[in-house]
Amino acid sequence: MAGAERTTKKLAQRIDLNYFKRPHPFRRWRFWLSVTAPVLAVLWLAWCGLAGNQRVYSGGKLSSAHAVLVARCNACHVKAAGAFSARASDQACLSCHDGPIHHANQTFTPNCASCHEEHQGRMQLASTADASCTQCHLHLKTSGSPTKFVRNIRSFGSAAHPEFAALRPGAIDPGTIKLNHAVHMKPNLAGPNGPVQMDCDNCHRAPTSNQAFRFDSATGMPVTIAEKSQLSIAISARAYMAPVTYAKHCVACHGLQFDKRFTESAPHDTPQVIQAFLVQKFQQYIGGHSNELREPGPDRTLPQKPAPLSVRLLTRDQWVAERVGESEELLWRKTCRQCHALTLAADGGLPTVAHSNITARWMPHANFNHERHQMLKCTECHSGALTSHETADILLPGIRTCEKCHHSGADAAEARCFECHTYHDWTKQKEVKGKLLLSGLGCGE
Amino acid sequence: MHIDHTHRKWFTASLVIFGVATAVYVPYAAHSPGGPRGGSTIGLAFGIIGSAFMAFAGLLSARKNVPVWRLGRAQSWMRGHLWLGLLSLPLTFYHAGFRLGGPLTSVLLWLLIIVVASGVFGAVIQHYLPRVMTLQVPGETIFEQIDHVREQLVAEADRLVDGAETAEGTRRDKAGGGVSLAMQSEVAVDEAAALRNFYAREMRAFLTSGGKRHPVLSDADTARSAFEGLRTLLPAELHEMTQRLGAICEEERQLRRESRIHHWLHGWLMMHIPLSFALLLLGCVHAITALRY
Repeated sequence: MAGAERTTKKLAQRIDLNYFKRPHPFRRWRFWLSVTAPVLAVLWLAWCGLAGNQRVYSGGKLSSAHAVLVARCNACHVKAAGAFSARASDQACLSCHDGPIHHANQTFTPNCASCHEEHQGRMQLASTADASCTQCHLHLKTSGSPTKFVRNIRSFGSAAHPEFAALRPGAIDPGTIKLNHAVHMKPNLAGPNGPVQMDCDNCHRAPTSNQAFRFDSATGMPVTIAEKSQLSIAISARAYMAPVTYAKHCVACHGLQFDKRFTESAPHDTPQVIQAFLVQKFQQYIGGHSNELREPGPDRTLPQKPAPLSVRLLTRDQWVAERVGESEELLWRKTCRQCHALTLAADGGLPTVAHSNITARWMPHANFNHERHQMLKCTECHSGALTSHETADILLPGIRTCEKCHHSGADAAEARCFECHTYHDWTKQKEVKGKLLLSGLGCGE
Repeated sequence: MHIDHTHRKWFTASLVIFGVATAVYVPYAAHSPGGPRGGSTIGLAFGIIGSAFMAFAGLLSARKNVPVWRLGRAQSWMRGHLWLGLLSLPLTFYHAGFRLGGPLTSVLLWLLIIVVASGVFGAVIQHYLPRVMTLQVPGETIFEQIDHVREQLVAEADRLVDGAETAEGTRRDKAGGGVSLAMQSEVAVDEAAALRNFYAREMRAFLTSGGKRHPVLSDADTARSAFEGLRTLLPAELHEMTQRLGAICEEERQLRRESRIHHWLHGWLMMHIPLSFALLLLGCVHAITALRY
């Protein structure tokens, strides 16, 4: 057998001792591939450099808002003369956007990019991570006066976020308009044209709603000055409910009748305006009905002793003063008081009406959008609306209601801080003078 | 390299480094506004350490090219290459925050993944295949010498077959007796022709095919059957020669097996080494541009 003859010596003699001087093709291939791969890498970068394509060094896709800047790295990465670094600075951001301060007494102001991180793909830059907020709000420190805000907020949810301020113990609705939600939601209420069943949107609508209100003024009652001041709180778009106003929501059922001689109502305005209105109305009336100046006197007939019918003869001013007095008595003591808190003057003068104090936004430091939640029945969140009897009841849903949908996890609605809160105080926004050119952005090229 | 108990220290150290890195990364990622970033202090630290491990792994090539340098044992370098190179992958992921990023960083991450994956593949292959080689290729030779050895096997087989005819002629002459000389010669030629034909048509084609598969001789069982069939056609004097030819075929099969195993053992380096160089080069470019932007 050949194998048996293969002594170590014979096997060694088969080897060409100079074999290592001639590289095997396997080694040659490895060598040339090792040269080729880095060369290809260099050629790739050189090609990008020659084409002026700096995108190759990008840290990732730009956000949707900045997508147009994808080929204009230097719009943000501004290099100072002679400097090596071309990092995107806050100045570069502020040249296009204003970023108002969060709070006057904040102790730390983060860089724009530390919250609004770019090059993370097609996302919204405003969708900041909770950590952006909790880096301060987890252990909140403030400069100057002590803060009224909760100092340790980790995230959203009843375990990590305080209950909404309006619902914390001791908080009441500061409104003075007496409203009993439970009564208004009862079936067969006396409506303007017969029994009605009221619904939430008969009173609560977005300010931009273009549908007629079911119980607004049939006679086109103008919105008074007082109501206008409330409406001025109204928030744009359809995010919030417009404050309830008498002219739009109450007038159809709660008329301000002041005398049987008139079908029209008194204006929904200040006592001074109402009084002037009454005087004017009665003066006009008596001008055409002077026979009413003769009024039957008090009936003093006793049984078995008939007495002659007495007649009171009044001057016009006396008649007007008496009728105005009666109407005011009706209005101040009954009609107006049904909803308003009135303080009657001790000297018989005009009453003082407490300011309505209707709260337009219950959470001034958070945003909410009713339109985004319109698929829900109102009472799913405002569950107390059907049973509330007191004006002081706050029908705002609590954090536990929100977290039924808004919680962490893939199967939940967004629950990060930015969903409700805005970092920048946009009331302090400054105008920005644009500097970029369409041609500079490569648009329309 | 055989991965055995001698790797325990490296394995433990790597596990500790990985554990510490993970323990740092998890809270860092959870509490970083906007998520983990390569440019943050911790992200940068991960990047620097990961790059250092990559650079160390890359230096193995230099260490191998200059074996006379007294820079530690080659085995230690190899172990360091293996474990630190492996660690560079998670550290780089921690640096990148598990995001591919832009074109350059995406290419870098994919290169790293391929380099580490090919390295792991190579380590596993090199752990098992040498044993397979020892078992299946007892006559192992230097890989680069396979063609040279094969030429010698062909020459040896040629010599054997040429010698067979001469030997058979001599045998016939001695056993001549009452048969005429012409007849004796004819028979000798006929008996050697079977061997010659088999060698020329089958065996030589097998030995000189450069490793191509032969329908009969590539397989040990079919080859054995073929040689046994041939032996029945040959006189007893040529049986030993047939056996030696069979052994040469077996050697050729071993050379083929060795070549195949060698390609598995070292083929991954065709990907691992060139891409490592590209990775190190682009890594340097990334470090400079990242610091700039």
